[in-house]
Amino acid sequence: MTAVGTRVDSADQAGDPIEDYVRVLSTALRGPAQVKARMIQEIHDGLTDAAAAHSPHGAPDHHAASQAVREFGTADDLVPELQRELTLAQTRHTARTVAVSVAALVTCWLLMRVADQNTDWPLRTLVGHLAGVMAAAALLAASTLAVTGPLARRLPVPGRLPRVIAWAGTACSVAMAAVALTLAVTAALATNWPLAVLGAAITAVSHVIVGASARACRECARLDDRPALASSR
Amino acid sequence: MLLSVLEAGPLHGYAIITAVQDRSGGALELRTGTIYPALNRLERLGLLRSSWQSVGERRRRCYELTEVGRRNLDTERSAWQAFTHAIGSVLAPATQPRPVS
Repeated sequence: MTAVGTRVDSADQAGDPIEDYVRVLSTALRGPAQVKARMIQEIHDGLTDAAAAHSPHGAPDHHAASQAVREFGTADDLVPELQRELTLAQTRHTARTVAVSVAALVTCWLLMRVADQNTDWPLRTLVGHLAGVMAAAALLAASTLAVTGPLARRLPVPGRLPRVIAWAGTACSVAMAAVALTLAVTAALATNWPLAVLGAAITAVSHVIVGASARACRECARLDDRPALASSR
Repeated sequence: MLLSVLEAGPLHGYAIITAVQDRSGGALELRTGTIYPALNRLERLGLLRSSWQSVGERRRRCYELTEVGRRNLDTERSAWQAFTHAIGSVLAPATQPRPVS
């Protein structure tokens, strides 16, 4: 399967109503790349099928493509519904990233603590508080996965949940950055300093991954609240 | 509606749209684009599952009912039939009008 974004950008499809329509949707929507590409590909396929059905010879022409796009509904009408689904997909993605990263980091830190017998480790209280922030974010993330997954058949998904998980992810990412910095600075004082440096590096990588996902979630939540597109098609 | 047209077997997006229109005898004029976010939502809720399948010469995203979706369809269908039966009973012309006193 060709990625829709690539196809739309590379091909000279000026004047093709289906390609134009898909390009407008692709530009307007934000969300996990794979989910968005699948959604756009499906819409492209649906429009192509509709155009073929409207064409007397089965080969879609410009008129048939225009009719298929008209019947599809305006981008203004569709973008909010599609963005809502993409925002929820991004929310689940961010929640999963937070939950997995925190679980992995806590395991990593516990192993470090077992390996490094120094109980007088400086800034232990600070790291403990930061780990508490991360644990709270991870609990919220786990609840989000339940609420937006199987429980969504029985309970409505709160409208502000994407924004909440985006900021929880951001807080978690900031806490990870602070822990990484603390571990790096105090590595010299640790009994097993290579282990402390390794811990700092893993925490820093987690900070980048969670931070990027939280940023994407914030953007989706912002788009989810926006008014309809200015230009209607 | 979407669940019911998938009861017979997997269909791709455009086939679902035409199935809904055919079943309604053309009475339901859907904005076809609304089907796609709806399918996405039903899949997220676990009522449908989807996979890429070869249909003719192309690969399409095809949807099919899950077991939960099938149970949900039965429940919704029963509730709708009970509702339409109740409304039908109210709207049906009375055979013997009650005399005005």
